Amino acid sequence: MVESRPEQSGKLEQDLRKGVLVLAVLSQLRTPQYGYSLRQALAERGMPIEEGTLYPLLRRLEGQGLLASEWRIDDGPPRRYYTLSPAGAETYRDLTTAWGSLTSVVAALLHEES
Amino acid sequence: MDPNAIIESYVGDVVGRIPRRQRADVGFELRSLLREELAGRAEVAGRPADEPMVMELLAAFGRPQDVADRYRPAGFTVIRPADAPGFAWFALGGVALQWAVTLPIAYADPGVAEWAESAGVAGAWWAPLPAWWLSGGLGAFWWPGFMITLTLIAAMIRHRRDRVETASESLPQAEPRMAPRIPPQVLDRDRVNRAGLVLAMSFGALGASVLIALPWLAVIAPGLPQPVIDAFVFDPEFLAWRAPWFVVLWAMTFAGGFALLIAGRYTRTIRLTSIANDVAFLALVTWSLAAGPIFVSPAAEEVTRVCLIGIMLVFVFDIVIHVRRLTPTRAPVLSN
Repeated sequence: MVESRPEQSGKLEQDLRKGVLVLAVLSQLRTPQYGYSLRQALAERGMPIEEGTLYPLLRRLEGQGLLASEWRIDDGPPRRYYTLSPAGAETYRDLTTAWGSLTSVVAALLHEES
Repeated sequence: MDPNAIIESYVGDVVGRIPRRQRADVGFELRSLLREELAGRAEVAGRPADEPMVMELLAAFGRPQDVADRYRPAGFTVIRPADAPGFAWFALGGVALQWAVTLPIAYADPGVAEWAESAGVAGAWWAPLPAWWLSGGLGAFWWPGFMITLTLIAAMIRHRRDRVETASESLPQAEPRMAPRIPPQVLDRDRVNRAGLVLAMSFGALGASVLIALPWLAVIAPGLPQPVIDAFVFDPEFLAWRAPWFVVLWAMTFAGGFALLIAGRYTRTIRLTSIANDVAFLALVTWSLAAGPIFVSPAAEEVTRVCLIGIMLVFVFDIVIHVRRLTPTRAPVLSN
């Protein structure tokens, strides 16, 4: 069955966002954040991420050595705070450079088209 | 219902599906996050958290099995998408082929007829079906299971190899990265592996020599016990009329093999010759099976007939492969 155009566009936009998800998450973890606060921070900046996607992603990034985490008790229940590990900070720099060149290439392509 | 009890049940369901060593940690964090999310939603709604609110939250979070999948590291593909249609055809075709063979046998089996008579259903068209289903019918499913097992082993080996290659590629390299080493036969399907072809031809020559030498078995190996020599005595009529044609076709097959070895890859002529050879072999084997016994010993005869039917299937498969590779890809419809 052929999807309707808005459905198709929605899925393609979702794919586009998926590609930059890791970079967006890493950008917000230069300072320690726990899952809920990170999701709120991303949503406030126009990058809403489903909770069911974000939390497992944090664990995977930690498993890959890009994030470090610790349990903390501040003024509420115990929370796991995530922050960039040294390897994560390096990867974040690499990805930022790659993103910069990618956006300029895509912008040139789009400009050419218009 | 208490929203926390629903969260507890959900968390229990998720962590039950992830590796044991992660359960306590993930469970603790997931519980804490879901409670935070729920509190956030309650604050936005301006009312205390209730059952519909928690159910909405969990629905947005996803089914427990989906969430558990996301916590697991990415697995590996057992059947690649490109291989899936071929796999399905081969698996289901194997089952259908076995049914096509075993069903007529069940209808012709006197034992099944006796059972039908004792059960009072003699003459009913469906009478042999229960006995067939419990033997050949269900038994045919060994084939997809066997294929899955082999595919799983192959996928595990491939996954392991890919991991090793990825690890070596991630090492710092002084030289510019070389293209990955892929066997030429994979990139050019018409190319042959000469070493493999020589090995296959050697085994073929060995097998043919053994079969050709069978009439002189008593002379070549006088020490063999008499029952062994008797077991491999050819039927005189087969030896006089049908056997020489096998020698001719074997000689033609070897000639084709040598041509392929020299060329290094299949050409259109070699494929057409191979098809002609396969068809000739199919005709000869069919004639041999239909014209009378091949061996004098009934046991040797029975085994040989089963083997020849298997060999015929191999020839059919070979013809299909050659025809498919000879068929040009259809050109797309071009607009003016």
